Amino acid sequence: MTSNDIWVFIERDGDEIEEVSLEILGKASEITRAFGYSLTGVLLGTPNEEVASETIRYGADKVLLIKHEDLNTYSNDLYVKSLFDSINKEMPSAFLIGATPYGRDLAGRLAAKLRTGLTANAITMEMNEKGEVIFGVPAYGGKIVAEIVCEKARPQMSTVRPGTFNKVYDPKRKGKVNTIVPDLTKTQNRVKILERNVSKIKDLSKSERTIVGGNGTGGDITLVKRLAELTNCDIGVTRPLADRGLVPRDLQVGSTGYSLKSKIALILGVSGSEHFTSGIKDCGTVISIDLDEKSEIFNHSDYCIVGDVSEIVPLVIQKLEGER
Amino acid sequence: MKNIIVCTKIVPKSENIIFDPTTKRLDRSKAENQINETDKNAIETALRLREENGGKVILLSMGPPFFESYLKLGMAMGADDAILLSDRNFGGADTFPTALVLSTAIRKIGDYDLILAGEESSDAGLGQLPGQIAELLDLPQILFASSVNVEEDKVRAKRTIKGGHETVEARMPAVISVEMHANQPRFPDFKRKKTVDTEHHLTVWGSNDLELAEATTGLKGSFTFVRGLVDINPPQRKRIYIRGDSKEVSSKLVELMREK
Ligand SMILES: Cc1cc2nc3c(=O)[nH]c(=O)nc-3n(C[C@H](O)[C@H](O)[C@H](O)COP(=O)(O)OP(=O)(O)OC[C@H]3O[C@@H](n4cnc5c(N)ncnc54)[C@H](O)[C@@H]3O)c2cc1C
Ligand SMILES: Nc1ncnc2c1ncn2[C@@H]1O[C@H](COP(=O)(O)O)[C@@H](O)[C@H]1O
Repeated sequence: MTSNDIWVFIERDGDEIEEVSLEILGKASEITRAFGYSLTGVLLGTPNEEVASETIRYGADKVLLIKHEDLNTYSNDLYVKSLFDSINKEMPSAFLIGATPYGRDLAGRLAAKLRTGLTANAITMEMNEKGEVIFGVPAYGGKIVAEIVCEKARPQMSTVRPGTFNKVYDPKRKGKVNTIVPDLTKTQNRVKILERNVSKIKDLSKSERTIVGGNGTGGDITLVKRLAELTNCDIGVTRPLADRGLVPRDLQVGSTGYSLKSKIALILGVSGSEHFTSGIKDCGTVISIDLDEKSEIFNHSDYCIVGDVSEIVPLVIQKLEGER
Repeated sequence: MKNIIVCTKIVPKSENIIFDPTTKRLDRSKAENQINETDKNAIETALRLREENGGKVILLSMGPPFFESYLKLGMAMGADDAILLSDRNFGGADTFPTALVLSTAIRKIGDYDLILAGEESSDAGLGQLPGQIAELLDLPQILFASSVNVEEDKVRAKRTIKGGHETVEARMPAVISVEMHANQPRFPDFKRKKTVDTEHHLTVWGSNDLELAEATTGLKGSFTFVRGLVDINPPQRKRIYIRGDSKEVSSKLVELMREK
């Protein structure tokens, strides 16, 4: 039997909950409230009590804590096994996961083990009277949105694109924490982490002012960074620059990166492929510089500056530095 | 090293796909096809691993018969063999039945150390298939790898995670998805292409060869369905052109950045 419950995977880094998990709670709480469903935040490991309380304040009715020391670090094998057991027991109607690297690593395998449908990278999410969740997913580089449903199998699973939904917060909200201890005696973690190299990076989807560098910058990010400092902007890049390892993947804008919602975006030397422009459609004012006056990026811009980034950017920097 | 199997998908180039907002249909008839971009990175990874460790690189693809000519291009890059999984019953599959067909074929090929795939396909763009294959074969998985090395019976890879990367290790056999642009895929070799065109006989397996019941594959075996397609209307932009020498436009840009 399926329960009228929606579960959200709460991804965390120590005691800090991933933004996307909170965003999903925000949207899902809207749905569960409208249809009289309940919303459960699923936590793994042995987090601080405050993490469970925050999960509730951000919209969950209750928390399911799958408690085990070994779950404090992400492990595909151990996470899949513990979630599979819990889901099979309670059979929620839907199970939602943020489309982060770990979230995506987890989702595919878990769905296959559960023999259920999985949608990826949802940007819209609605429910109908039949309890079907309709997930909107960008396809073909964001040209169209496909509306996808999982009619028969449960739970209805999807990953959700970060930066898509809005968080809600109620400091007075209270809810119950149900703790279970998973049986991991027969499960082995088969992928050993030898080294981890991460840094804290500002969530691009929250950036108010952004400068995006593309191939047209010649891959020289130093100038872009300096300009960003002087104009109080954050920086983003197109995929080829992230692929070259010039900046972490978390600064990539586009269909496989982040969507910007900035008030102002300055786009430098970007050709405007669909994979990229789907990531700037929610920006306020878009200003672009490109050598090629026929560049597709200009069809997605409010101000189209035809010119050479390598000349214009240093001049702007010079001007702003002179004024300091 | 034993077999390295590379899951290879042929996809339409997205620029050439036209969406008709009135009929809400996609017109793929004008679209040229290609080997999925990141699958080329997976093939390149496989070829380099073979150069260092020996073994055989086998391309594996589920799709219609026209995929053959693209698989031949992959063979001209240097793969040793290609197998196409093609059957009317396989059509309309979402991720799960695709993973089922591919993993059944992988078992039939046997004797493998690594299953490689691209990080995601450019048409559906789910990136979920590699994890599903790993589950169905009960193998460890490493997704979004930007480099892959083999040492004795272990595979070591650098994978992208939020905020950076991790180096991880697993015992083979294992399933690995290769990140886009993880390397520079070599071009198909023209001479090799000729040999492949005349001498290679493509293995094609259907439902019967894989002993898969009709209800488990294709549309029938799928859990998800596309209920509708919605056009994303890009916002109307002002498109005000600013021209002039670099000095003039840089002054204008400073003003604009200040105003907004
Ligand atoms: C499945 C898939 C997912 C993808 N996801 C993403 C994604 O999330 N984000 C993303 O960005 N891309 C993504 N891509 C890649 C995307 O299709 C494009 O290849 C990429 O966006 C191009 O980057 P670019 O515009 O920086 O480079 P280019 O296409 O090389 O464009 C460079 C531009 O700079 C201009 N230029 C050159 N020199 C100068 C100069 N001196 N001054 C001014 N202008 C100059 C050129 O005229 C050109 O317009 C994806 C592709 C696939 C297949
Ligand atoms: N029909 C298919 N045949 C062979 N490999 C596939 C197929 N579909 C997907 N793949 C592989 O799985 C990867 C991820 O695909 P996807 O989950 O569709 O984004 C691709 O990069 C391919 O390597």
